[in-house]
Amino acid sequence: MMELTPEKIRLIPMVALIIIGCFGLLNSKSILRSLFSLDVIDTATISIFVLIAASGGAQTPIVSESRYSQYSDPYPQAIILTAIVIGFATQALLCAIALRLGRQSPMLRYRNLEK
Amino acid sequence: MDSQILLPALIFLPAALGFLGCVLPRIVFPVSVAMLLAYAFLSQNLIGSGVSYVFTLVGEGGIQFSIDLYTFPLVFGSSITLLICFGLFYRRFSHYFYQVCLVLFTALLIAFSTIDLVSMFIALELVGFAAFLLIADRSDKKSLFHAFQYLIGGGLAMLIYLIGVVQAFTYTGSFLLTDLVRAPETALCLIVAGLLTKSGVFLCGLWVPNIYSHANCQSSAVLSGCVTCAGIAPIARMSQILIPIGDSMVVIGVVSAVVAAIYAVFERESGRALGWSSVSQLGIAILSPTYACAYAMQHGICKALLFSTLHTKDRSKLSDDSISHSHNQLAKTPSLPVEEFIRVIVFVVASLSIMGFPYLSGFITKNWVKTDLPYEAKIIYTTASLLTSTVYARLIFDRVSNFIDHQQPQTGLALRRISRNIIDVLSTPRLWILLVSIIALISFSFVDTTLYSTPSIRSAIVSAILGGILFISVVGIQADEFVKPITRTLDLVGAPFLVAALLLANLLYLKI
Repeated sequence: MMELTPEKIRLIPMVALIIIGCFGLLNSKSILRSLFSLDVIDTATISIFVLIAASGGAQTPIVSESRYSQYSDPYPQAIILTAIVIGFATQALLCAIALRLGRQSPMLRYRNLEK
Repeated sequence: MDSQILLPALIFLPAALGFLGCVLPRIVFPVSVAMLLAYAFLSQNLIGSGVSYVFTLVGEGGIQFSIDLYTFPLVFGSSITLLICFGLFYRRFSHYFYQVCLVLFTALLIAFSTIDLVSMFIALELVGFAAFLLIADRSDKKSLFHAFQYLIGGGLAMLIYLIGVVQAFTYTGSFLLTDLVRAPETALCLIVAGLLTKSGVFLCGLWVPNIYSHANCQSSAVLSGCVTCAGIAPIARMSQILIPIGDSMVVIGVVSAVVAAIYAVFERESGRALGWSSVSQLGIAILSPTYACAYAMQHGICKALLFSTLHTKDRSKLSDDSISHSHNQLAKTPSLPVEEFIRVIVFVVASLSIMGFPYLSGFITKNWVKTDLPYEAKIIYTTASLLTSTVYARLIFDRVSNFIDHQQPQTGLALRRISRNIIDVLSTPRLWILLVSIIALISFSFVDTTLYSTPSIRSAIVSAILGGILFISVVGIQADEFVKPITRTLDLVGAPFLVAALLLANLLYLKI
């Protein structure tokens, strides 16, 4: 049986966010709601990365004269920056296409677009 | 020069050229063609040599690249695909299109060569953006909506992949692909589901037929030739080092090969049938980790040729209200009968190559994959190749009958002008590209002459003939009622979850 450490308990809200986002994405009736849901999942994934990086401690990983004892792991945090940018780019492209599609069907409902 | 500098420079050269093309659009075309030729030549020389370079990009803890036997065939295939598209559609492309293709090529090079999971994520997202731009180039409502579906489905799949990566990181402490041996099963399932969605294997790859039929034919050629190959290299690497994943890939590949081929048999529209057949072929490709890349290369080149020659040229229909970025002058130039004839020949040869006909390159790759399979999978594999033969028998029949119908009224006129016609045709580069591609498809079949035993040749010919017979027997079935295009966004978005769950069940309990 898996025991619940404080690190795992901290992840529970993020997993709940992912589930909410997936539920929204699978049940959305219009393009804009899918966009919001995708953004929710994106944010939850990024938060998971940040929380896992901070599992060793939350202090800033800067080397100075007085070294911190419990600093967070900088490697996942640095890597997740690119994921943030990519998520933003995806959102921008999706918004642009929603704008184009909205000229013909302003409500952006899947029911009208999928015909 | 030091390979530490040279190889990253080679990887990032196409993107640099693409961005340079924004400033100097005139020189991009010749330079990019020369560069692609150089890449094709280099990688073709290195395919069988077993050379591998491993290097780390920025010192300690940097991004690891491994240029090895998985990389070279795919690089060769993508550069040849891009060359074919550049050559055959050079009048339809705006310089915007070249830039997207060149950036796509860099993303593909990274995806083929990196063994770092996060760099793989970035490369696959970049491939996804470039593919999105290629699909949306047609800019009518249908293609825009399908591009939207592709982007939202691909984005979600990549987020699933990222969650798997971070879970693997908590167990292994690194982002390397080789360290996935110590990762838990759930992480592996999430990663594989993301990769399968990007490479367009069945159930995750439901977006493939929609997009191929609704994009411009030059975009479809690029998409089928390069974009779906991006996920193949990491899947092959993973199934090489992880035995449970390799076994699951055999199941997924066999299911994909058969089910997608059945969909393709009952599909009426040629573009969608080619899309379904692409799903089926990539399912075959992931069966064997050793030859996956060679198979994907051969399939990509043949699919690019097929999409390039699928339509007669003056039938390029574009709705008037659409604002297309690409020029569409080709519709105004009259179609030359001789060139049209050669296009039909290329179509037939490429179809036969995918069917695995002897003395064509498809025969070699098909037999390579076959030698690598467990016995139980071989029977289903043969079924899949039979269904593939049926699909291509129908496509060849459609294309040839379309050609004959089209040419009938003007035959007399054409015969009178035929000498002038030939001279006209010989002066265009398109014809030379088509001829060279036919010769290349035939000459590549002599790479491994040990495969030409009597049983293998006989089985290939029998499979082709049976495919033809099967086509004649199913041609009358009106299948429109039970094979409907899958266009709902829910199906496309939900498929990765389903595949991840099934894989997890397989890895934990079923253990097929």
